[in-house]
Amino acid sequence: MADLVIENLEVHFSGVVALDGVSLNVREGEVFSLVGPNGSGKTTLFNCISGFVTPLGGTIDYGDLDLLSKPPHSIIATGISRTFQNLQNIPYMTVLDNVLLGNHSRIGNRETVRRWISRRQRELEEERALEVLDFIGLANYEQKYLSGQPYCIQKLVEITRALVSQPKLILIDEPAAGMNDQETMEIAKIIGEIRDYLGITVLVVEHDMSLVMAVSDRVCVFDSGNVITIGEPAEVKAHPEVISAFLGESVVA
Amino acid sequence: MKGRYDEENLKWIAPLIILVIVLPFLLRGATFSYRYYLYVLNIAGIYTILTVGLDLLSGYTGLISLGHAGFLAIGAYTSAVLVDQAGVPFGLSLIVSPLITGLFGILVGFPALRISGMYLGLTTMGFGFIVRRLIIALRTWTEGSAGLEVSKPVLFGFTFANDWHNYFLIYLFVIVVVVFARRVMKSKIGRALMAIRDSEHAAQAVGINLVRYKLFAFFLSAVLAGLAGVLFAHTMRFISTDHFDILLSIYFLIMVLVGGVATIYGAVLGTLFIVLLDFLAIPLFKDWLASFMAVQVADIQSLIFGCIMFLFIIFQPMGLYGMWLKMRIYWKLFPFNPKIKQT
Amino acid sequence: MKLRKPVTLILLITFFLACAGREPTPGVTDTEILIGNIQDLSGPMKELGMALPHGSNLYFNYINDKGGVHGRQIRMTMEDHQYNPQKAVAAAKKLIEQDQVFCLYQIIGTSPCEAIRPMLEENGIPLVAPATQSGTMSDRSKTGWKYIFHTDTGYDKQANILVDYAYELNASAKVGVIYQDDDYGENVLEGIAEAEARHGVTIQKEAFQRGATDFAGQVMNLNKGGATHVIIGGIVREPIIVMKTAAAMGYAPQFLGISPTMDHRVALGSGEAGEGFIAANFAQLYNSDTEGAELYRELFEKSGTDPKVMGMYNFYGFITAMVLVEGLERAGKRLTRDGLIKALEGVKGYDGKGVFRGITYGPNDRAGTEAVVLVENRGGTQRIISDWIE
Repeated sequence: MADLVIENLEVHFSGVVALDGVSLNVREGEVFSLVGPNGSGKTTLFNCISGFVTPLGGTIDYGDLDLLSKPPHSIIATGISRTFQNLQNIPYMTVLDNVLLGNHSRIGNRETVRRWISRRQRELEEERALEVLDFIGLANYEQKYLSGQPYCIQKLVEITRALVSQPKLILIDEPAAGMNDQETMEIAKIIGEIRDYLGITVLVVEHDMSLVMAVSDRVCVFDSGNVITIGEPAEVKAHPEVISAFLGESVVA
Repeated sequence: MKGRYDEENLKWIAPLIILVIVLPFLLRGATFSYRYYLYVLNIAGIYTILTVGLDLLSGYTGLISLGHAGFLAIGAYTSAVLVDQAGVPFGLSLIVSPLITGLFGILVGFPALRISGMYLGLTTMGFGFIVRRLIIALRTWTEGSAGLEVSKPVLFGFTFANDWHNYFLIYLFVIVVVVFARRVMKSKIGRALMAIRDSEHAAQAVGINLVRYKLFAFFLSAVLAGLAGVLFAHTMRFISTDHFDILLSIYFLIMVLVGGVATIYGAVLGTLFIVLLDFLAIPLFKDWLASFMAVQVADIQSLIFGCIMFLFIIFQPMGLYGMWLKMRIYWKLFPFNPKIKQT
Repeated sequence: MKLRKPVTLILLITFFLACAGREPTPGVTDTEILIGNIQDLSGPMKELGMALPHGSNLYFNYINDKGGVHGRQIRMTMEDHQYNPQKAVAAAKKLIEQDQVFCLYQIIGTSPCEAIRPMLEENGIPLVAPATQSGTMSDRSKTGWKYIFHTDTGYDKQANILVDYAYELNASAKVGVIYQDDDYGENVLEGIAEAEARHGVTIQKEAFQRGATDFAGQVMNLNKGGATHVIIGGIVREPIIVMKTAAAMGYAPQFLGISPTMDHRVALGSGEAGEGFIAANFAQLYNSDTEGAELYRELFEKSGTDPKVMGMYNFYGFITAMVLVEGLERAGKRLTRDGLIKALEGVKGYDGKGVFRGITYGPNDRAGTEAVVLVENRGGTQRIISDWIE
C-alpha cells in the first residue's frame, strides 16, 4: 500500500524550529488536511516532501520509497505532484501550455522528437491535457495567456497542471486563499472529485475551516512545528487544545 | 479542437519563404549595387541564426549572455582551422564546428547553475574577453590578432563564390533554424526552459532537471552561434579579433530585446531591424546630420541603439513581434473592436 | 523558369539605361576621377580619420587647381568603418558598386584592409597606400596582393632596423621590446624574431593590451631584465606613459620607437622623461626643409585650417596622395584599373619631392619603401638625426 509515512521530521531555519519531530501518516485514497496558524510549519512539511527543504532528521517514506534521498525533480516520478501557496505559473504561456508543462516527466526524448515532426502526435498530447482541463472546468481557457487571468483561474490551472501527470498523491497548498465563498465551494467540489473520480490521494494545506471540514477524511492540526492532534473533522473540532490554541475564542464564545 | 498557434504559423511561413527566395532577384532588378545590399542581408542572416540561439538562452530561459560574440568567434575560428589547415570538408565542418562550440557553451553554462541576472551577464562577458585572448594566444593556428583568411564554402562540389551564392546558403540555414527553433520551443523543451525562467520551483515540481536543462540551453544556444560562426568565416572570408568585439555581444542582446523576447520571430525581426539600421539607415542619417552640422558625430550608433532600446523597453516591452501581433488582432477584429486589449 | 524572363528583362533595361553615356572604366569621366576612401570617422581612431584625408585633399586640390591629371579632376568620396572590418567590407562594396569609384585609397587599419582583400580580387580594383604600416600588406602569399600598393616601411622592417641601431649605439646592448598585443604588435614581433636570429640573441618581450594605461608591470620587468635599449611598439599615449613610468622608477634605458610613436604629441607630452627618445619614420618630417614639406606647409597655411591639425598624420595623408597622383599621371590619358596597376608597377625610386627614400614597385613588388630615418626628441622638438637606413 502506498501510504505517505512521515516520522520524527525535524527542520530548523537558522535556529528557528520549523518542524519539531513531526510524525503523521497519509493513507492511500483519503483527503488529508493540514491546518494551523501561519508559520506553524505546514508549507515546510510540503517542501520537505517535494525535496526543496532537507530536514535535520526524520524520514519520509512513500510506499517503500525514501523520498528524502531524491532530488526535487525526481519526486514527480514517484507519483507525487504539488501546487504552490504563491502562484508558480508561467504567465507568458497559454493555459494549455501551462497544463502540458505538468506532463513533462511523462514525455520521453524520443516522443519529444516525434512531436516536432508529427502533427498527430502533438494533437494526442493536447487531447489528454484538454480532458483534464475539461474535468476541472477550464475548457474555454485553453488558448488564453495566463497573465491577466483572474486569480481563481490561475489557481485552478495550477491544480490542473499537477493533475495532468496522473499522480497517485497530490499536494495542494492553500487552494482557497484569496477566494470568495462561491469559489471556495467550487474548489471543495473539485477536491472531492479528484479523490472520487481519479482515485488520487489528496494532501491539502488550508486555512479556511469550512473547506477543510467539508472535504477532509482526516485533519491534522499544527502549531509551532508540533502536531496537536490528528483525527476526523468532528473529533478535531471538539478537541479542547485545538479550540483554545487555534480555532480561538470565537468558537468558545 | 481549436487550431493551435504553430499550425496557424505555417500559413505565414510559405509566403515568407517565397519572399526570401524572390528578394535577391528583385534587388538585382532594382539596383546596380544589389551585391552590397545582399552582403548586408547576409550579415543579417548570419546574425539571425545567432540571435535565435540567444533568444533560446536569454529570452526563453532567462539566462543573460553577453558573451555570444565569443561563441561566434569560436565557431568561426574552429571551422577556419578545420577546413583550411586540417583539410576537413566544409560540409563536415558545418556539423562538427557548431558541436565543438556547443561544448564551450556547456563550459560557460556551469557558472549559470549558481548565478543569474547581472552576475551571469558579467561572467559571460568575461568569457568573451577570454576567447579574444585565446585566439591571440593560439597564434600557431589563428595567426594571432593579424586575422585569418578563410576559404570559400564548398558543398557537394559546388563552390559558393559570391554574395549571391552565399545568400541562398545562409538563408537556407536561417529558415531551417527558425522553423526548428520554433518547433522545439513549442514542445516539452521550450516549456521547460520557460518554466525555469519564471519559476524554478514549479519547474522542479513537474520534474525538470534544472542542471540538465540550463546546460542544454547553453549548449543549444552555443551550437547555433557556432553555426553562425562557420557561415560567417566562410562567407566573409576574413576573420580577426576585431570582428568579435564585446560591443557585438551587446548588439545581439539589443536585437533580441527590440524584436521581442521568447518568440523566435522577434529575434528575426529585431536582427533585421538593427542590422539594416546600422548599415543602411544610420550612415544616411549621419550624412544628413553632417550636411548641416559640418561635423561627424562620433559613436552615434551607440546613442541611437541606446535610445531605441530604452524606448522599446518603456513603450513596447513585447518588441516588434508584439507590435505585429497587436496589429494583426486589430485588423482581424476591425471594425468591431478598435480598442486593443493586451492579450 | 517563368519568373526568369521578366526579371532578366528588367535587368537588361536598367542595365542599358545605366550604361548610356558611361565610359567603360568605372569612376572615370572626361573631367573627373572618383576615388574611394574608407576612414574611421566615428570609432576609436577618429582623430586620424579626420587628419589623413584632409592632408590628402590638400594635395588633390593643389593638383586640381593646376588642371588635374590629364585634364581630370580628382574627387575623393569617403565612407566610415569605425575600425570594424565588417563595416569596411560593406563600405567597400558600396563604394565599388553604388558609387562606382575608380580605385580605393588610404583605407585605414590593418584588419579593415585585410578584410577587403577578397573584394579587391573579385573586382580587380587597386587599393593604393593603405594607411597601415603592417608588413603583411605587401605579403605576396595573401589573397589580392596584386591590387594593394603599400607605401610605408613595415613595422617588422622598422623593428629590425631599430634592433640593429641599438647594437650600433652599443655593441653590448641588451634590447627589450614592449608591444601592443594585437595585429600591430604581431608584426613588430615578426621583425624582432628576424633580428634575434640574425644577431643570435634573445630579446626580452613585454606585451600590453590595446587601450592599456598602466605599464608599471612591464617596465619593472624590463628593468629587472636589465634592458638597456627598449623598443616601444605603441601609438601616442603608450610611449608617453611608459617613459614617464620608467623615469619615476629611476630606470633610464635608451627608448626607441616604431613610427606611430613619432607623433609630435609624444615629444610634447613626455617632457623630461622623453628627452632623447628616438623614433623611426619612413618619410621626412612635415617641418623638414625638403621640397615636399615646404609645399605642404604652404598649402596648409593657404587652406586656413586650424593649425592643430598640422602634423605627422596630416602630412602622411599629403605624401601618400603624391604617390597616387604619380601613378595616375603615369597611367596616361586612357585610364583603366589595369592601367593604373601597370603604371604603379613602373614606379621606381619615386622620392615625392624629397620626402621618401624612394618608392619602388615592380610586377612582384608591392612594398613601396623599406627605409627609415631616425627622429630624435630634444627639448620638446623633433629633428632628424640619421640618413636613410635600410
